[in-house]
Amino acid sequence: MADHSIVIPTRDKLFNIREFFTPTPGNIISGIILAVGLVITLIRFTCGIGAVANLDDNQPWGLWIGFDLLCGVCLAAGGYFTTVACYIMGQKHFHSACRPAVLTAFLGYAFVVVALLYDLGHPLRLPFMFFFPGTTSVLFEVGLCVATYLTVLFIEFSVAPLEWLSCRFPWLIKWRKILVMCTIPLTIFGVTLSTLHQSSLGSLYLIAPGKLHPLWYSPFMPMFFFVSSMVAGASMVIFEGMLAHKGVHHYMDKTHLREADEVSFAFARAASFILFAYFMLKLIDMLVQANLPYVFTGYGAWWLVEMFGFILLPALLYAKGARDRSLTFCRLGAVNAVTGIVLNRFNVSMIAFNYTLPSAERYFPSIWEICISMFVVTMIITVYRFVVYNMPILYEHPNFRDGH
Amino acid sequence: MNRRKFLTLMGSAGMVSALGTAKVAKAGVHTFPYYPDSYGVLHDATRCIGCRRCEEACNAVNKLPKPEKPFTDTSVTGTKRRTTAYAWTVVNKYKVNGKDVFRKLQCFHCNDPACASACFAKCFQKQPDGSVTYDGTQCVGCRYCMVACPFYVPGFQYDEAFDPLVQKCTFCEPRLKEGKLPGCVEACPMDALTFGRRSDLLNLARARIAENPGKYANYIYGEHDAGGTAWMVLAPSAAAGKQDQDAKDAKEEKPVVKNHEDEFKQLGLDRHLGTQPMGELTYGALGAVPMIVAFWPVLFGGAYAISKRREARFKAEKEAHVEATKNDLAAAVDAAVRKIEETQGPGAADTARRAMAEALKSREMTSAAEHGEDK
Amino acid sequence: MRNGTVLLLLAALALAGVVCLSAPGTAAAKAATLASTDSGAPSAIVMFPVSAKPNPKGTAMTPTVFNHLNHEKAVAKCETCHHTGDPVACSTCHTIEGKAEGNFVTMERAMHATHIHKRGNGTTPTSCVSCHEDVTRKRQECAGCHNIVVPRHDAAWCASCHNVTTSITPEQLQQGIDGTLSLEQRESLAADTVHTPKPTRMLTPMDGPYKVRIDALAEKYLPNNFTHRRHVSSLMEKIRGDKLARAFHNQPETLCSTCHHRSPLSATPPKCGSCHTKDIDHRYPDRPNLKAAYHLQCMGCHKAMNVGRPKNTDCTTCHKARQ
Repeated sequence: MADHSIVIPTRDKLFNIREFFTPTPGNIISGIILAVGLVITLIRFTCGIGAVANLDDNQPWGLWIGFDLLCGVCLAAGGYFTTVACYIMGQKHFHSACRPAVLTAFLGYAFVVVALLYDLGHPLRLPFMFFFPGTTSVLFEVGLCVATYLTVLFIEFSVAPLEWLSCRFPWLIKWRKILVMCTIPLTIFGVTLSTLHQSSLGSLYLIAPGKLHPLWYSPFMPMFFFVSSMVAGASMVIFEGMLAHKGVHHYMDKTHLREADEVSFAFARAASFILFAYFMLKLIDMLVQANLPYVFTGYGAWWLVEMFGFILLPALLYAKGARDRSLTFCRLGAVNAVTGIVLNRFNVSMIAFNYTLPSAERYFPSIWEICISMFVVTMIITVYRFVVYNMPILYEHPNFRDGH
Repeated sequence: MNRRKFLTLMGSAGMVSALGTAKVAKAGVHTFPYYPDSYGVLHDATRCIGCRRCEEACNAVNKLPKPEKPFTDTSVTGTKRRTTAYAWTVVNKYKVNGKDVFRKLQCFHCNDPACASACFAKCFQKQPDGSVTYDGTQCVGCRYCMVACPFYVPGFQYDEAFDPLVQKCTFCEPRLKEGKLPGCVEACPMDALTFGRRSDLLNLARARIAENPGKYANYIYGEHDAGGTAWMVLAPSAAAGKQDQDAKDAKEEKPVVKNHEDEFKQLGLDRHLGTQPMGELTYGALGAVPMIVAFWPVLFGGAYAISKRREARFKAEKEAHVEATKNDLAAAVDAAVRKIEETQGPGAADTARRAMAEALKSREMTSAAEHGEDK
Repeated sequence: MRNGTVLLLLAALALAGVVCLSAPGTAAAKAATLASTDSGAPSAIVMFPVSAKPNPKGTAMTPTVFNHLNHEKAVAKCETCHHTGDPVACSTCHTIEGKAEGNFVTMERAMHATHIHKRGNGTTPTSCVSCHEDVTRKRQECAGCHNIVVPRHDAAWCASCHNVTTSITPEQLQQGIDGTLSLEQRESLAADTVHTPKPTRMLTPMDGPYKVRIDALAEKYLPNNFTHRRHVSSLMEKIRGDKLARAFHNQPETLCSTCHHRSPLSATPPKCGSCHTKDIDHRYPDRPNLKAAYHLQCMGCHKAMNVGRPKNTDCTTCHKARQ
């Protein structure tokens, strides 16, 4: 296709990284964050967790788990959501959205593991869970699924780097063919693993009914987490598309541009339905558990804010956006839904956790913890940019036009 | 249509998994063995005087670092402290209906420990002697045990850079093996800690409650809480405290304590943990895992097959339709050409046929380009 | 006790002296009647186990003599016992079998029930036992002992109240149960009982040692010199003349039995260490070790009596630190 603006790496010029070296504000800010992050990383791994984090014995899991892990995994749900919609449900016009979604998911999961290394006391012992499997632990299930799913995502994603590198190493084309053939089984395997660990992130907190506020604690937390991860997946595709259109617009081919809006509307409609269902689930759960009296407390007000401002409102925004075919509303909905998911994970892991403790003993993340989280996000963005600049993510590689 | 089907499928899948959860939870797949001859300790809070001898003994026996304030300073019991990685037991002062009551905090050594259930590297073990032990050599440092523990017991060495571990009371397991009492029990000058077989301690606790009417709250904390614990607590009855207040000022009517929850709540003990081990709360969700592993591929494989089949049928229908239109057009063109041949002769007919064929072809091309990729 | 014989001799002497002194007094009181009450109720009455059913054999619990005069002085208002507000005999509603009027609360329960559920309307009935227990746990001079021991409910304990004079005839008893015994006879029986001398004479502080050196455990601290006599005399001084105490402390060694508990009453009780071993005996996990036994007894009593000094955690007040 005659998209002359897209720089396609060739045999002689394999890397296209000049964009990293133009002094745009984005690059400068990224550079600063990465530099600060590296310093804090050094401190973290030489002086201990206590040197940088506000974590304590009452709150052993703070921002690094609440944001990097819970939100990271959840917001990377776009991978399974898009691939299932495209390959399994036969929505072929979502095809151009698949690669970016898989890329984001892969990066999301990979950096969840990276962030986890900061939080673990013994990061090098992470594989111990396979040597001494604690099968009664939800965390074991999460770990196993995330590890497997990361592998699946890597295989799913690796089609793109293979296409990129094949111009220099033509023997890679054979591997690419095998991988493309595996798309359907991998997608099904991926959605199974995603269902398991997305819901299991909710199950993690099932063991602490005394610590988590009753409005958030529910035996159905696994279901809430899974259902909301679908919303997160759909919303992140829209949200990320919005950002990509700003930043890397010139790497999108015509097909991508033509399909992007359709994808947004379709996902907005789906997300709207799921959000309504999620709202009703949470509402009924609250009533069934006889938590109504709690609604009229301080935490209840906060719960209502989450319910109406961050579940019902994005549902309405999405519904309006999908119905009127208004991209603005869809994007507003996406931003609202994504913040809502993050808020929900913060509530479960930090704000409504340990609610019985006096405020002096409550946790608030230290500035360094926040920096590490920002550092991780910046790393994701940087790697995303590198991949998009070099590999056929937002465009179809001219050599592999009939891949699907 | 597709999306709706997708959502319906998702919804029904959720229902199925929820049902699966309920069923599997009842079956109770994973449970720790329960050791009937295990040991325990009964902590009688009515006897505790807050002297911190147990803390001192614990510190010495386990070679923990010296605290900032010496153990002889009993004023620290007034501030609410918790166990940490460097203080495995602490004694706190509580007000039970206006009276000072001391309670010792340490690992409760649950019968079916939440920490052991939560650990994904099998660091925690419930031993047949009743202790819950921790093996730091395989600890990953995830601290899920600390999230799981309903008693806020395990502490983490946050200040340790290279080998940070979770630490908690060991029930002095090495000492038990030598036939000695736990350090704190041995040091207690009031016998506020009674060591024995858990089953004996329960009888003993009941006897104490019965023999001293009005002295104790009629409840043994830890008998059933969180699935039962090896360390149990007897609390003074709130009524006993109340009596003393009445004696001081008889006129004022103090609110009557309705149940024993108050006494334990004022002692900082949560009576709402239920009688099931905390780990069991997650077993339902874990039990659903095989269900999903087995069911999801079938579900999505089926969905894939349906969409594939529908695509094929749609394609066939479309082709048939295109073929029919083509035939119709050809017939119409034939008829038109024959008419032209009749009226204007074969030359004109040839030109017309050629022109019509070209027009049709170009039209087909554009329509194919437009709808090529559509569903 | 090392000087047990001496103690016994002393005790015998004291007893003899008391008997000699009290004998003429008793003789004089025999003829006297009891002082009258303010309320006009009989000063003392015999309470018979009244039953609705005929009891032809005349077998019944030994009746109780209730000293109305003493109790009237001790309680604030009649409703404490006459909880209905109507000053009638208890047996009007509470008979052996229980009656509808008394909510089927039997006489036995009405007199002995403890832990009575608090009534909403403000007047919670009390039984003899519950009121006595209440008083002994609350009054500072009683609380020390009565919060760490519960009196043994043995025959002697029952006989403290079921003590009608032995001169009662079987006919009188039968009539009493039937409710046909005349008021005069009942009052005279009661007066006889009240005037019957109590033969027991409590041990005095002088019967015990002056100081006890507790050194079996001295290790970190120096031995403690327990001021035995001071403690006993202070306790006795406080309840001297207390009618309730006199009525129920019916053995010479009753007061001793708080600390010297569990073993048979004796003026020369065994040492604490005879039962309480230095290290806990694994066969009796609930038996405190010697150190704890001392601390539980001392601190239990001090706490119950609101003795502010010494503080529980102030070790060196009782035993000096070893240098």
